Amino acid sequence: MLPPFSYIAVHSKQEALTSLASLAGAALLAGGTDLLVRMKKGETHRYVIDLTGAAELSGVKDRGGTLRIGSGMTHARIGAHPAIAKTCGGLAAACSAVGSPQVRNMGTLGGNLVNASPAADSIAPLLVHNAVVTLESIDGMRSEKLERFITGPYRTTIGKHEILTSVEADTLAGYNEGYRRVAKRAGWAISRLSLAWALNDADGVFKDVRIAVGSCTPVPFRPREAEAFLAGKGRERPVVEEAVKMVLDEIRRISGMRPSFAYKLPVVRDLLLSVLGGDSCS
Amino acid sequence: MKRVGFTLNGKTTTCDVEENELLLHTLRERLSIASVKEGCSIGECGTCTVLIDNEPCYACLTLTAKVEGRDVLTVEYLAHADLLHPLQESFISHGAVQCGFCTPAMLLVGYSLLLKHRQPTDEQIREAMSGNLCRCTGYVQIIEAIKDAAPVFIHSGS
Repeated sequence: MLPPFSYIAVHSKQEALTSLASLAGAALLAGGTDLLVRMKKGETHRYVIDLTGAAELSGVKDRGGTLRIGSGMTHARIGAHPAIAKTCGGLAAACSAVGSPQVRNMGTLGGNLVNASPAADSIAPLLVHNAVVTLESIDGMRSEKLERFITGPYRTTIGKHEILTSVEADTLAGYNEGYRRVAKRAGWAISRLSLAWALNDADGVFKDVRIAVGSCTPVPFRPREAEAFLAGKGRERPVVEEAVKMVLDEIRRISGMRPSFAYKLPVVRDLLLSVLGGDSCS
Repeated sequence: MKRVGFTLNGKTTTCDVEENELLLHTLRERLSIASVKEGCSIGECGTCTVLIDNEPCYACLTLTAKVEGRDVLTVEYLAHADLLHPLQESFISHGAVQCGFCTPAMLLVGYSLLLKHRQPTDEQIREAMSGNLCRCTGYVQIIEAIKDAAPVFIHSGS
């Protein structure tokens, strides 16, 4: 049973923004797979504003160089979307790995980002695509880089009257990209570790390397030093090993040594070696 | 109270519900659809699964108010009078029903899959079932039952 609240269904983004600004103690409901679980555990809100009817929050737009993805898109729809699969493949793969089929049919991208779990599958691939989130309130609109938007586990910069309305991600043509997660089982498990990548290389030389590691540090992150180190270098075993060492050092620098790292760091190392090494290093 | 109108198993349904009421409770307690089970209540076990617009969703995490205008299916949709759906017959013949608690949801997940894939691979069946726990069968019988029902699969209702 849920604690009592007044339910408000909105029919447009504007109505959602107005309701959120005028009602004190309101929570936003998208898929409900996080909010309603927390409310069953005792979290209370006077109002629950259901965003399902705000059609502006859905859909995908190719804006030439970037893809704008509505925050109300479910994981299932993102996973099955042809334009996302083509130019944002890591995100499609990550959304197809979230929770269970039911969670993917219900949960949304916006919900996943606002919840900001360190294990949220969508974050790492979006970091690889230099994602920028758009936040709107009745007072206006602002954009923020995803890596700045998420400030800690389950913490973001979202304001009380703001709605995350869309996410803009670089389209990456000519990159080899992907997403891999390690969990206790494939279905219905939280990622113990995840890796998103996009590599652009030609003739055995790295042109651009983008990596994001999830479920390892308080917030999924891009190891920028290692990425910069790899750019312009040959795709050779010693180079890749040096970069992997840099990533592991950075994880230790961010999180300190944790008991789980006895397991996690070797997994990060092996995933990175196989992704970065390609055929030349196997 | 709030009046919610939706299609339930092909029939237009109107129901007065509490604003914080979950679809699971509306179905079980107001509409006498006891096939939708309450298991974990936090969207992990899958026994409360219903199809909303033909996609599996957890009724324990769906506000009833949210299904306004939507199409909701429960396992009652599959059988007609005494005639079971081929998918149900297949579950019986494969011993895919043991304690039966997960069965209505498993049937709906299988039905939803067969609507999309007339000849699903084992991998697709496993994927479709991955949000539903069964503690009796070990799953193999359920996978076989869904696979064997595929050639004789027919839409129910109509």
